[in-house]
Amino acid sequence: MTDAALFQSILASLPEIVVVTGACVLLILGQFVRKEQEYFLVWASVAVVLIAAIATLMLAGEVRPAYAGMFVADRFAVFFKLVFYLATVLTFFLSRKYADIEGIESSEYYVLLLFALSGMMIMASATDLLSIYVGLELMVLCTYVLTGFMRRERRSNEAALKYVILGAVSTGIFLYGVSLVYGLTGTTQLDAMAAAASGHPVDPGLLLAVVFIVAGLVFKVGAVPFHMWLPDVYEGAPTTITAFMSVGPKAAGFAVILRVFLNPLFAASDVWIIVAVLAVATMALGSFVALVQDNFKRLLAYSSIAHAGFAIFGVVAGGPDGIASVMLYLLIYSFMNLGIFGTVIMMRNADFSGEAIEDYAGLAKSHPGLALLMLLYLFSLAGIPPTAGFFAKFYVLVALVERGFVMLAVIAVLLSAVAAYFYIRIVMVIYMREPGRVFAPALTPLVRATLAFTAAGTIGIGLFPSWFLRLAQHSVLGG
Amino acid sequence: MGFPLLSFVVFTPAAGAAILMFLRGDDAVRWTALGVTILDLAFCIAMLAGFDTTSQAMQFTESRQWVPALGITYALGVDGISVLFVFLTALLSWICVLASWVAIDRKVKEFMISLLVMQALMLGVFCALDLFLFYVFWEAMLIPMYLIIGVWGGDGRLYAAFKFFLYTLAGSLLFLIGVIVLYFQGGRTFDILALTAQVLPFQVQSWLFFAFLIAFAVKVPMVPVHTWLPDAHVQAPTAGSIILAGVLLKMGAYGFLRFSLPMLPAATVYYSPLMLALSALAIVYGGLLALAQDDLKKLVAYSSISHMGFVTLGIFALNFRGIEGGILQMFNHGVTTGALFLFVGLIYERTHTRSIANYGGLMKVAPVYTAFLALFTLSSMALPGTNSFVGELLVLSGGFTANLAAGAAAVLGALLGAAYLLGMFGNVALGSPSAGFQFKVRDVNAREMAAILPLAVFVLWIGLYPKPFLNIIDVSVQHLLAQVHAKGNGQ
Repeated sequence: MTDAALFQSILASLPEIVVVTGACVLLILGQFVRKEQEYFLVWASVAVVLIAAIATLMLAGEVRPAYAGMFVADRFAVFFKLVFYLATVLTFFLSRKYADIEGIESSEYYVLLLFALSGMMIMASATDLLSIYVGLELMVLCTYVLTGFMRRERRSNEAALKYVILGAVSTGIFLYGVSLVYGLTGTTQLDAMAAAASGHPVDPGLLLAVVFIVAGLVFKVGAVPFHMWLPDVYEGAPTTITAFMSVGPKAAGFAVILRVFLNPLFAASDVWIIVAVLAVATMALGSFVALVQDNFKRLLAYSSIAHAGFAIFGVVAGGPDGIASVMLYLLIYSFMNLGIFGTVIMMRNADFSGEAIEDYAGLAKSHPGLALLMLLYLFSLAGIPPTAGFFAKFYVLVALVERGFVMLAVIAVLLSAVAAYFYIRIVMVIYMREPGRVFAPALTPLVRATLAFTAAGTIGIGLFPSWFLRLAQHSVLGG
Repeated sequence: MGFPLLSFVVFTPAAGAAILMFLRGDDAVRWTALGVTILDLAFCIAMLAGFDTTSQAMQFTESRQWVPALGITYALGVDGISVLFVFLTALLSWICVLASWVAIDRKVKEFMISLLVMQALMLGVFCALDLFLFYVFWEAMLIPMYLIIGVWGGDGRLYAAFKFFLYTLAGSLLFLIGVIVLYFQGGRTFDILALTAQVLPFQVQSWLFFAFLIAFAVKVPMVPVHTWLPDAHVQAPTAGSIILAGVLLKMGAYGFLRFSLPMLPAATVYYSPLMLALSALAIVYGGLLALAQDDLKKLVAYSSISHMGFVTLGIFALNFRGIEGGILQMFNHGVTTGALFLFVGLIYERTHTRSIANYGGLMKVAPVYTAFLALFTLSSMALPGTNSFVGELLVLSGGFTANLAAGAAAVLGALLGAAYLLGMFGNVALGSPSAGFQFKVRDVNAREMAAILPLAVFVLWIGLYPKPFLNIIDVSVQHLLAQVHAKGNGQ
């Protein structure tokens, strides 16, 4: 690699370098920070993310391939990185008080989140199966640890263990697919792979490889039949980490899926039908199983499976509108899901867990403002206009119908009517029951700011979707 | 573009709801809500005054880009078909505020906010000239209505609110797919007028017709998707029932008039016998169910199913008298049934029972109440001289022209109507009080009178001199029919 190429590569990956360096510095600094000064870590972490965000935006102007075709900084990556920054910063804001209450306050918490962020960023930019693998592992290793961060709680340990074992299996499957691809085509780069596999009919060995890679990737977004880990991990992990995982790593998984799936190899192959089946099965399972949950975190876990299913419908649609619809969906989902998790997190105070749906009975009476916010997030998750959630679903449906998949669109809306049922059930508990116990929500200014910000996004994108729609459309692959 | 009158009509209640959020004290909230609804009514009267009854075109139109990338605009406008409903919505909202003045005694602020938001969304539905905008208003109504039924309703409110929500949601989501298909078939636009001008292949029209039918039939409601209505009506607070019966049920029929007929004319013509049969079924079946009720509110609810059957019968008769009568009957039903729910609410506030068997001899203790109840009962029965007579006569004349059997079924339904309404009135108002009746009932007060009188005026005005109302409707109906027949025949 020449000096110029190296410089270009470093420039293209500057945001990642900033985050990794920042995380390393904070790791060391964290050892010297006294207990009562820990707010410093929050702000320092936020500062690192903001610097990375500025770097990302400054580089957004042009497509910059880097590291000999393993990495690219393009608008598609920029869009996803912005979603990651959003998810990470809001998680920092939500974490401070919660970590204090749960007794998991330590500098590694923030450092691990930053490393997970860098893994996600690499995933969004990766154009080679190996760099995808590096990003993926960096991200999931951090989330394994974060899931088990409540060391004294058995549930947390169990979740982490389950996550590690199943995650390792899925990684193995993914790597097996990668090795098959390498063996058959002699390359792991996405573009070269597509070129090598352009013949008809496609090599059956390659199809097998594709199936393995698909399986490894959909594990990360929690699609059926690789969803089993998700409810347990979501329930066991600290709620802030659950909030983070439901948004950031999921979006990262979709970034890779879009890059890999919409590669000509996949689009031309017969396995495409698998993706449609996956979407239907994922949404159906998520929606129906959520109906019977009593634990709010588990319910949100199944709801996030259902939402992943809906986003996969956008992948099925493919084409520029399909890709843009998935991207917009993930952006909007970040706002509303972080919002609803924000309300769950602030319910955790003293001996009050806020995990049972029953805990929310009569919230409208005791805390009308919070109840109204939850109403907004829940209706948005259910996809009722004029909230952003409606527009997200609407655009996916538009993309589906545009490609002629009207039946799939009908299935998608019928399943979302099922999903609406359990969101509305929570609204019912909040608004139509009498309050049970009295509690004081853990509302710090940062939590308030997060809730206000996500609410503004949830209603704002719903009323004025135009700008965000154009942003997603301009950030589509190759666009 | 001049003064955006329709935006003011639609968003005045929304702005009012925003103001209410900052108010303290129940009375301040009530008076402000009343003021907002009166202001909105004033805007509506200004709109009616400026409405040109000789033109079939959309009037007071406004149009702005909203999501240009998908061809979505913020476009409002009214023609002769929608203008009456805009007015009806504003009128009934005002009456709803009065009807909930004392009936709602907890969370008054939240209730009034829901009511005003609901009003804004309903007005939006009738004014929207963009399908996407229409859908947003149409679907968003679920939120305040769900809360109105679920928070302030009766004992079975949770079940009723759920059922209402899921029925309408499932129906509307299929409508959404239909809208998106229409968007691509009609050249990537959501503009209702542009889509109306298109001619789609019959096959596409057929599919869309049924996608739309499911959504609209749930809202109307037509048999067999009517079962949410009695539950919702019985559990909803008075204001909720008035809104449901007075405005919400009209939206399904309005959907047929605005979308199914002009955009899918060939399918409409082809499937009109089916629709006539369903309408006739609703008329007779709803009437029979009403006949069997002992609960006052349920009786009025089932009678609504029967009356809305008349409306769809008129619409799908696809002739001038039928559609004209159908639209007038929609307005009449809003006035008359709205009033009947108000009366049920008034008596319920006083006695806390809705069982007809518990009443009797009400005429002696509350003569003014009973006199007005008689007027609205007779109106619901379509006695000559009342508003429904005019509408029903037009529908019947259109119905008989279209299909003899459907017309005959409608006459049977009218007979059933006389039976259950006269029976109800006799048992409640006449004779001597029943053994279990030991309530002290005071007669209507001035505030209640203020809610009743305007409705009574409309009953008699339309009954005796319907011409101004028909004038508003006629030109647009002729235009609509011309569209249907020009593009609908030949399949």
